[in-house]
Amino acid sequence: MNTFPRATPLAWVNGSDAPEKPSLDIGFMALTDCASVVVAATQGFAQQQGLTLNLKRQASWAGMRDKLVSGELDAAHCLYGLIYAVHLGIGGVAASDMAVLMGLNQNAQAINLSPALQRKGVTSPEALARLAHQNGSRLTFAQTFPTGTHAMWLYYWLASQGIHPLRDVHSVVVPPAQMVAHVQAGRIDGFCVGEPWSADAVAQGQGFTLATSQSIWPDHPEKVLGCARAFVEQCPNSARALITAILAASRFIEQSPENRRSTAQLLSGTAYLDTPLETIEPRLLGDYQDGLGNRWQDRHALRLFDQGRANLPYLSDGMWFMTQFRRWGLLREDPDYLDVARQVQQLALYREAAAALGVPCAELPMRSSLLIDGIRWDGSDPHGYARSFRLHAMAETPSARVGL
Amino acid sequence: MLRILLIDDTEKKVGRLKAALVEAGFEVIEAGGLTIDLPACVETVRPDVVLIDTESPGRDVMEQVVLVSRDRPRPIVLFTDEHDPQVMRQAIQAGVSAYIVEGIHSARLQPILDVAMARFESDQALKAQLLARDQQLAERKRIEQAKGLLMKMKDCNEEQAFTLMRRQAMSKQQKLIQVAEQIIAMHEMLG
Repeated sequence: MNTFPRATPLAWVNGSDAPEKPSLDIGFMALTDCASVVVAATQGFAQQQGLTLNLKRQASWAGMRDKLVSGELDAAHCLYGLIYAVHLGIGGVAASDMAVLMGLNQNAQAINLSPALQRKGVTSPEALARLAHQNGSRLTFAQTFPTGTHAMWLYYWLASQGIHPLRDVHSVVVPPAQMVAHVQAGRIDGFCVGEPWSADAVAQGQGFTLATSQSIWPDHPEKVLGCARAFVEQCPNSARALITAILAASRFIEQSPENRRSTAQLLSGTAYLDTPLETIEPRLLGDYQDGLGNRWQDRHALRLFDQGRANLPYLSDGMWFMTQFRRWGLLREDPDYLDVARQVQQLALYREAAAALGVPCAELPMRSSLLIDGIRWDGSDPHGYARSFRLHAMAETPSARVGL
Repeated sequence: MLRILLIDDTEKKVGRLKAALVEAGFEVIEAGGLTIDLPACVETVRPDVVLIDTESPGRDVMEQVVLVSRDRPRPIVLFTDEHDPQVMRQAIQAGVSAYIVEGIHSARLQPILDVAMARFESDQALKAQLLARDQQLAERKRIEQAKGLLMKMKDCNEEQAFTLMRRQAMSKQQKLIQVAEQIIAMHEMLG
């Protein structure tokens, strides 16, 4: 598998740490959580590491996946689940070795419902569960990629409310920026998406936010800096420099509220999110309105850095997505959860980059979290965890492969 | 099918390559001699490979090759009877991807062209990376210069100067280098 041996740590100590490839093509989607990638590329953070980052905005996750696999993109702002699905060969392409270089953010995704449901008074989880279990037409929910984080948050949340995501509702794939248009056209009843598109729907009067992703799992893993494993093996110095540049940018953004606000201004530009500042800024600063008249300061809003806690590629974070693939029948058999996570998560490279910046790293590659349904995930028993849910689709397969 | 621009610069115009190329199944577009404007010709024909057949590559040939490499880079294969290593070196320096002396067999053409194209691609990639490195270095110097000016003007430290520049750039949806250039230009004007 390792056709290109990784440069030895000694070679790095000896000073041969110049990026093998100084100019990198980096994919991103128009989402608030691409912030540290855009800031690293445009605000001199990459230059300091001897890199030029050419930002390539993508229209869909499937398109980005294909370009990562073909090598047209060196690395990308990517869904956690997407990297694992490609690595395990679930979905439209054959299995291809992938790597997670670092976490890019936690939190800041949301589940919205349509104005039609709002008018019918379906504004609570209980009301939605009642409707979903009534006979008649099934509700249709959109997510952004069959194995992506939004599909997993949507499924997890619905299941936590007693709604089976594969039997009680339909689910379809829609690119993030098109969610609002689909709601407006009445094609979908709800969706799960990253910001600013949930806030955008609320601002346009196209429904309301029913649940934030951080209410499902406070400080959940979300986007990663992903790449093909070949990139790490052929250009370990470029990969380390890239992590360092983006980590430094994420630290800068969270250094002060002014920096966060400037970041929102940068992101609203036509080359990036091409969306009004008023849509991006509030939730980026934790100021949430749900469209039902509730407003709150969210304690688990977008985290891009959090002293490095948002960036360490925990093995337990990677494993969690595999347990959900298993739960929903996307994986027919249990993978060797720990072994696969060790292959994909580039912990050593991340620790080197963090050390160079003086960013602290947790000793343990696992973390423990309590999710919305009261079930704890700490990475210790993935096999048992995948089987611990009342609602699942372990025995089935075809219906789980919606949109694949 | 590979599209080949064939420049016949042999004295007798015997067209010794044409038959072999057609036989090997290539699409051949011929252009007579090197009196033509080669870069312009490459621009209109858009060939995959430029093939020059010449008994001895003189100054005119080299000139045209240099121009193509600079303005319309394409793989260039030179077929010639000239054995002189000095001439060969000059040709490679001018931007020729493959230099083939004598012996044209249609069976050998495909591998020769494949090697030339692979060689051309790796040269181009290397050039692009070198260019990126140069540009990066130049930008870094300009940013450092602007930061120094700002530190003096604002009487602040390095980190504060960087933060000021970055905030300015981000709120204007610009790159850091653009703000650095503005600071330097402003300083020159007031200086």
